[in-house]
Amino acid sequence: MRIFLIHIYLFVFVFQSYAQISDFQQISFEKADEIALKYKDETLHNLPDLVYKLTSELDTDAERFRAIFKWVCSSIANDYKLYNRNKRKRLRYKNDSVRLNEWNTKFQKIVFRKLLKDRTTICTGYAYLVKELANLADIECEMVHGYARTSTMNIETLDTPNHSWNAVKLNGKWYLCDPTWASGIPNPETYRFQFDFNSGFFLSDPKIFAVNHHPLDKKWFLLEGATPSFQAFLDAPIIYGKAYTYFSDHSYPQKLNNEVQKNKSFNFKLQLQKEIEKEDVNLVIESSFRERKIYPDQISIQDQSLSIDYKFEFSGYYDVHLYIKDDLISTYTIKVTR
Amino acid sequence: MKRINLKKKQMKTQVTFTQKLWYVTILMVAVFAFNPMYGQSTSSSQKGKIIKGTVSDLKGPLEGANIILKGENQGTVTNAKGEFKFPVALETGDVLVISFLGYESIEYRIKTDTTFVKAVLSDEVIEFMGAVNTNKRYKSKKRKN
Repeated sequence: MRIFLIHIYLFVFVFQSYAQISDFQQISFEKADEIALKYKDETLHNLPDLVYKLTSELDTDAERFRAIFKWVCSSIANDYKLYNRNKRKRLRYKNDSVRLNEWNTKFQKIVFRKLLKDRTTICTGYAYLVKELANLADIECEMVHGYARTSTMNIETLDTPNHSWNAVKLNGKWYLCDPTWASGIPNPETYRFQFDFNSGFFLSDPKIFAVNHHPLDKKWFLLEGATPSFQAFLDAPIIYGKAYTYFSDHSYPQKLNNEVQKNKSFNFKLQLQKEIEKEDVNLVIESSFRERKIYPDQISIQDQSLSIDYKFEFSGYYDVHLYIKDDLISTYTIKVTR
Repeated sequence: MKRINLKKKQMKTQVTFTQKLWYVTILMVAVFAFNPMYGQSTSSSQKGKIIKGTVSDLKGPLEGANIILKGENQGTVTNAKGEFKFPVALETGDVLVISFLGYESIEYRIKTDTTFVKAVLSDEVIEFMGAVNTNKRYKSKKRKN
């Protein structure tokens, strides 16, 4: 009898703690995603009720957070006009803190009204909503403000924070996510927003996240050891949304602008988070005159590290884009000298 | 000799089973006797009460504010005058969470003498910024020359 009781005790207490330590990234988010889509048309007039609907049928905090995150990314559209209006005002009042504050107070009301009425918003709105919903589900979640870089941004004018995202605590550990970027992308020609969920921005690896996200508060890097300097962030290569689904880190080159002698090997190195075929790796090399697609032959994949070596035959100035199949990963500029 | 032993064994089993039955009966009676549910010691403060209230912001009454009982899926919404009546009887110690998108939420703990809740919500203070992501391929300026 005593031995039986001891077994029950062990089963109830000890094995539960093992379940806590196990890697929840192996949990299937299928059910959470299904629930999120089921309630896609819900409004924001009753947040506690929305949270209950999204989370009551799920067993883990990770799944509950996924349902909330997926819901926000699938239901709330990005308002490009609103984003532009705010951008212009913030630029205009950059050196006038009184007027900037006035504008922000006014703009805040507009943002919340739009969220309720049209279910559209801009990044801080996404981050705010994710935080509020997560907190209502008793999940610790914070908004992180900082700088973000994209391919169309003029970094010479990047001197004030321009983006918001989230940090969330699951099973005692903090993770990063970017709901704005996870939700989709404006059409590059029409600027009309298109929903296109990118799971790479859900619980992203902090190493790749730091390539184009730079938080104001260093603790939100979630990196051990030295964190990238602001200058390193400004000098970094451009990476795109798909980079987050293939890679956990970008190792080399460390800068956007590079120089190499012709016929000397230039190395690209990235850390893979999933398996790929060497044949899928290609480079698109753009010069002023033309664009060529190259399948480099010096490719190695070892210990989840993708390494590409390429020799430029002719001197010149090139924009080099790395692709995995048709997925745009990163861009570098390379000046090839004689 | 064998037959007598068998009878003795049978008698033993019969006695033990009855003893077990008595033991269980006494145990059950003891459990129910000491169960507080059956006692008359419950105090009157355990009885629930219907709570009413208003929710407003710095400008005036807020229509559509949410009031929920923390930890439960029970709640209500304020009318055009910002008034509400909580649909479920509340007890001392219950916590109401009052919220509205864009305002800081308030938690209100029901006290023994609470009958009416007057909540004033203050605006969240957030700086709004927005960098939109793009898949447009980077084009360096130098290359254009």
